[in-house]
Amino acid sequence: MSQSTTLPTAAAGTGEREFMLDVRTQDMEVNMGPQHPATHGVMRILIRADGEICTGAQPHLGYLHRCAEKIGENVEWLQYLPYTDRYDYLAAMNNNLGYSMAVEKLMGIEIPRRALMIRTICAELNRIGSHLVAFGTYGLDLGAITPFLYMFREREWMMALFEKICGARLTYSYIRIGGVFNDAPPGWLSEVERFCDTFEEKWQEYVDLLMVNHIFVQRTANIGVIPKAMALDFGLTGPMLRGSGVDWDLRRDMPYELYAEIWKSGCFQIPLGKGERGTLGDCWDRAYVRVMEMIESIKIVRWCLDSIAPGPVIAEIPKTLRVPAGEAYVGIENPRGELGHYVVSDGGKVAVRCRVRGPSFTNLAVLEELLPGALIADSIAIIGSTDIVVGETDR
Amino acid sequence: MTATTKYFRNVYDTLKTTLVGMRITGKYLLQKPITVQYPDERLPIPNRYRGIHYLEQEKCIECLACARACPIDCIEMDAVRHGKELEWITFTLDYQKCMFCELCVYPCPKDCIHMGTEFAFVSYDRSEFVHDLLSYRGMSRDAKTRMLEAEQKKKAKEEAKKAKEAAKAALKAEAEGKEAAGQN
Amino acid sequence: MLAAVLFAGAPQSGTNPIQGLLEQVAPAAVPAWAVVAATIGIGVGITVAIVSVIAMFGTWMERKVSGHIQCRYGPMRAGWHGWLQPLADGVKLLLKEDLVPKGADRVLYVIAPAIVLASVLAAMAVFPLAPNFYFADIDLGIFFILAMTSTTTIGVVMAGWSSNSKWSLYGSMREAAQVIAYEIPLGISLLVPIMVAGSFNLIEVSNDQAGWMGMNWYIWPWVNPFMLPAFVLFFIAILAETKRAPFDLPEAESELVAGFMTEYSGIRWSFFFMEEYAAMFLYSAVGAFFFFGGFESPLTWLVRHQFGLTVGVQAEAWSLGAILLTLTSALTIVVKGFAGVFLMMWLRWTLPRVRIDQVMTLGYKYLTPLALVCVLGAGLWEVFVKGFLPWRNG
Repeated sequence: MSQSTTLPTAAAGTGEREFMLDVRTQDMEVNMGPQHPATHGVMRILIRADGEICTGAQPHLGYLHRCAEKIGENVEWLQYLPYTDRYDYLAAMNNNLGYSMAVEKLMGIEIPRRALMIRTICAELNRIGSHLVAFGTYGLDLGAITPFLYMFREREWMMALFEKICGARLTYSYIRIGGVFNDAPPGWLSEVERFCDTFEEKWQEYVDLLMVNHIFVQRTANIGVIPKAMALDFGLTGPMLRGSGVDWDLRRDMPYELYAEIWKSGCFQIPLGKGERGTLGDCWDRAYVRVMEMIESIKIVRWCLDSIAPGPVIAEIPKTLRVPAGEAYVGIENPRGELGHYVVSDGGKVAVRCRVRGPSFTNLAVLEELLPGALIADSIAIIGSTDIVVGETDR
Repeated sequence: MTATTKYFRNVYDTLKTTLVGMRITGKYLLQKPITVQYPDERLPIPNRYRGIHYLEQEKCIECLACARACPIDCIEMDAVRHGKELEWITFTLDYQKCMFCELCVYPCPKDCIHMGTEFAFVSYDRSEFVHDLLSYRGMSRDAKTRMLEAEQKKKAKEEAKKAKEAAKAALKAEAEGKEAAGQN
Repeated sequence: MLAAVLFAGAPQSGTNPIQGLLEQVAPAAVPAWAVVAATIGIGVGITVAIVSVIAMFGTWMERKVSGHIQCRYGPMRAGWHGWLQPLADGVKLLLKEDLVPKGADRVLYVIAPAIVLASVLAAMAVFPLAPNFYFADIDLGIFFILAMTSTTTIGVVMAGWSSNSKWSLYGSMREAAQVIAYEIPLGISLLVPIMVAGSFNLIEVSNDQAGWMGMNWYIWPWVNPFMLPAFVLFFIAILAETKRAPFDLPEAESELVAGFMTEYSGIRWSFFFMEEYAAMFLYSAVGAFFFFGGFESPLTWLVRHQFGLTVGVQAEAWSLGAILLTLTSALTIVVKGFAGVFLMMWLRWTLPRVRIDQVMTLGYKYLTPLALVCVLGAGLWEVFVKGFLPWRNG
């Protein structure tokens, strides 16, 4: 006896693909991860599949849990800085920045202007690096290996720049409470300028090679659609939110450090998903937002390079930090979304509470909603488009 | 867009974007690779590189500032004080724990612990990662000579003092003798 | 493998150069069946050797091409620019532990890689390396090659099924669907040159394209303008048949870990690998035979012209001209074959992977109808236009 079954489609708005089956088959549980090439780290997604079609998905976390928040309650204020590098290891500068800003807010210290400039340059360069990994590995998930290596070539240069300024390539611990550790070495700023020039050229190549490639478009357009309302319901932030067309960027809407000034100068825009190749909020839009943000970051870096002036790079702070009692929350725009640090102090050398709001963790929740109805190959595209860093989801 | 135009549009787009992609990859195929053959040729390492530590032992005063600054307590040191001089017993850094954050370098009052450019540290045994930063154990030759000199000085001083005292005593005795003789 | 060779190349007296040679040197006391058996043995040995060398060169080339495309060197340590790398890999794979997963169907698991490799070896049996150097020259040559290479699917499905892994099963199911879909446009697009040549025999097709400096290759638009689109379709179809990117769905390393090969290790895994590269070469050599003139190139034309040899006529066995012609022909076909392999690699390192339903759409909705159009157009051209072209009626 044959029975016609209609499986749920991916999400509202896709509509284009609907699978009509004549035979009833048994569902299969597939364990994607913790060791799987497409889960970007040690994450596990339990997929219930009917042939090639996902009918259910459940992300499992915790494989990379390192008690980062608890450590924050046990080490001194400055000593926690190296740990912040390690939750979102692709954007360590931004993590340093977020934590330092939270402590600075509590202490009420004023940061020298040159330090703010260097901080902005570093954070934006790291945003470029992080988006390069995100877009490169997205191509890798979809089977294009070469663009990934091209992007890593530019990222390598970015890491060499950071190596010159702080001595490390991935876990920088460079932006510290009160400013930055070291002033930029001589010639560093002009090398950043050269990097910007080269990057703009190479960026066009990524777009030609991958972004507008017809196969890439076919693989990502109309896949994993997150409508505006759904994006807001899930509390998505960063490119995931802007990919759905919601105009929200902390750099503009809750400006911190120099961003209010930079936004006023009008040198950068907030790219939004427009549904150019498919539906608004599909995987292609999210990738598009990331690719466009790289160029916007370059513009911000150029603005800083133009207006940087010599001066001190760190405020006067005591050697042993004693933070006044109180609590502070600072949210900054990480490459992945809003990275929040909530710190509570009782006036001692050690934090009472050090809470981190990681964007990857929140963005991950949407997977459970998006995967049912997608093909196995599409589920890879959807997971890749969320751009999670498992170090941050688990912390 | 009708189905027919969409059909041919797809064919055209696929072929065109594929050719554009092949032009880019083909361009790089003919260029010189950017990688280097690692052990033979190496990329320059910047001065600020955070690699394996090194210690200027002569300067160190065993103040424990670096050990206290370390978030994971991987620095351990021990020395015996002989007055001003130090007799070193141990100064180790556990590279199983170290995360190369450079927080130990800044608080040093004598600027004696640094991070070098060496990054390769390979071993068959984990215990070897507890790295000894000391270049010598016990006291340095300088410290020894300094100490010896100081001791000699001290001895000489004491001897001089003793001699002085002896002279004084002799003088006193003499005086006393004279006095006694006078009384007699 | 042996059965396939027996079926393919049961050599008749006089058709096989190896047999001819053996008959000349063998004493009269040796019975005729022994000569045939020896011929088969030698032929199988040569075929295996050729396939191994092709696979080794293919893997080396893949690494170098991918490396240089990605701004890196690829292997550089084993020998000059790593040319000994495949050998080192072979030794490594031989020494690796040969794992059979728990719960696997042991028999199928073990014979699956053998079937995969045997199919391409069997196809190689009818592949001529020069006009007078072949193991079996059968009239249905291309037909046999297509039939044999498509038996790879059976091995792949067996491998996926017997591995007791869900990823392997996905891979093998995709392979089955994909190969069935692409056999059709592959065969139809090959009909265009077959129609022009009027033969299935590889050597005859090659001879038909002989002409001044290789100007009679079928691909040239003055021979038949439908040949170029037919070749593009053929090329896309062979990409899918050999499981090469962008159609590498059966392996799909980012989706299915390694597809049907997930559970294999060591020398069994290398069988799949050898098959892939040998099939790549074989298919692009077939493309060379049917679209790019086969043995015909300016080089062979020069040799023939210089020594006054006629196309399709076997020259005196050990004359300088014949030897030179054999060498240049072999060089031509190897270069053409690897040029096709290079193109496949270039594409692989450029494009993302397509999805399974897009593979099906492409195969059934795009390639098959377009191939049919090509066949129709080429047929009409042959019937109505060919007569007016003086260079086609020489």
